[in-house]
Amino acid sequence: MKSFVFSDDLNLIPAIATFARGLGEVDIYAPGPVPPAIKKYGASKIYTVNDPNLTDSIADLLASRISKGEYQFGFIASTVNGRDMAGLLASKSDTNSVAEISSFELAGSSIRTKRFFFGGKSILEEESSSRIFTVSPGIAEPKEVEAESPVEQVSLSPSRITVLSSEEKKSGGVDIEKAQAIVSIGRGLGNKDKLSAIEPFASAINAVIAGSRPVCLDYHWLSEDRQVGLSGKKVRPKVYIALGISGQIQHIAGMRGSKIVIAVNKDKTAPIFEECDYGIVGDMFDVLPKLLDGIKK
Amino acid sequence: MAYNIIVLIKVIPDLEQIKPDQQGNVSTKNLPLRIETLSENSIEASVQLREKHGGKVTGIIFGTQESVPIMKKAYAMGVDEGVVITGYQGNDPRYTAAVLSSKIKGIPHDIIVLGNQSADSYTGLLPGLLAGALGYPLIGNAISIVPADRKVKVKKFLENKNVDVEAPLPAVISVAQEINEPRLPPVMQIMAAGRKQILTEVASISNSSSIKVLSNTAPKSERKKMIFEKTEEGIPVIVKVLKEELR
Repeated sequence: MKSFVFSDDLNLIPAIATFARGLGEVDIYAPGPVPPAIKKYGASKIYTVNDPNLTDSIADLLASRISKGEYQFGFIASTVNGRDMAGLLASKSDTNSVAEISSFELAGSSIRTKRFFFGGKSILEEESSSRIFTVSPGIAEPKEVEAESPVEQVSLSPSRITVLSSEEKKSGGVDIEKAQAIVSIGRGLGNKDKLSAIEPFASAINAVIAGSRPVCLDYHWLSEDRQVGLSGKKVRPKVYIALGISGQIQHIAGMRGSKIVIAVNKDKTAPIFEECDYGIVGDMFDVLPKLLDGIKK
Repeated sequence: MAYNIIVLIKVIPDLEQIKPDQQGNVSTKNLPLRIETLSENSIEASVQLREKHGGKVTGIIFGTQESVPIMKKAYAMGVDEGVVITGYQGNDPRYTAAVLSSKIKGIPHDIIVLGNQSADSYTGLLPGLLAGALGYPLIGNAISIVPADRKVKVKKFLENKNVDVEAPLPAVISVAQEINEPRLPPVMQIMAAGRKQILTEVASISNSSSIKVLSNTAPKSERKKMIFEKTEEGIPVIVKVLKEELR
């Protein structure tokens, strides 16, 4: 049995490829150039596509390979382009698809999957004959292998999409998806100047600073690449410290994979207290210096 | 040139009010309904296109009988004509795409606008399934839509970059929340919307979904939920955890 993995975000490949390897052989499709680190996840082959925005042509290629019997299953990272491509591919190959799976189990001739539903308020367990899946981060712990995968560029059929230009988002120079500790701030911070009150604590525990949607996208207190949540990054640090974050489900969806969650919020009814391991009802500007003192001792 | 725009409107229950029963099963029965956030952005984007270029905005809700009154808000925001299709099943976007594409084929259109990923099921698969069923190009997570003649230029909002692309019309365009701030309709428009006709019809295709729901239960939160109302009591506990985890 052979599967393929598609992701336009190279960071998401190790976990999905490790998971797919557990089912049998696997090929990876990703935009090139492929850095050496990605070649260590046991793929029989890594096929590079020249632009992941050409979702129609990529779906055409994979649909034809599925119909030739090359692949039993496809596992696609849940990014904007990944989801677009998955929908097109499921339609073109006339197969069922299940989105954002966090668990996958073969049960005879069918497949049992789990995914969050109702905005994360429930887990939906489904049984189907689906072959195309989008995958949420954390489906497996990435494990490297000895052998390096060979890389081959594939040529795509002409796309109806023309890419005119692209612009990297302003980056804060950090990758919050890889952080071991995250200090995440919400609207409760008050204003951008007060970030300086957070920094000493964050640096004392080697944490990167991230934020909720309003903080990154509406107020621009932090760069967009530091946004945690459904429409931002999905993070899985050892410790996630939520400061002044109320804990809307869209935010929780981005940090649910964290090992330990600590919350500080003035409002004791804030939903974040339902999703944390340790919480202090209080003002972050009062609590943080005290935590910092404790750490230094 | 004027464009015929179809906007797909999703109606969802107020998810914040979901409370699991003693067995952990969740249900959305009797919860108040509203237009999904990205559908509001979709309506706003569609109405803005019509205001700029002329044409017509047709709203389609695939929902239930209870969704019918929700169309009034779409009217108040500027949707010209609305259809509510009943028979929505919920968990199978392939069925949703089949019903919607069959309806869309009967309505003149150049641009189909919908939300990128809905807040309740967030599969994000519908735009692709729909574009596939209609045979149109798909442009995902748009933050600007600029049609010119028989083409459209769109800025896509991706995780690490923004990408400008162009595609021929007709096309399916999914929007991101960042595209606009949905308008709050003035009272006069809300009153006028109440008098407007809403067409309803039953889904023309029966559900042949082979996706079987085994369970739908609240996730067991394995969080410890040790909450301290006195800061002094919480500090030593949290300091200890931080030192252990991050040494």
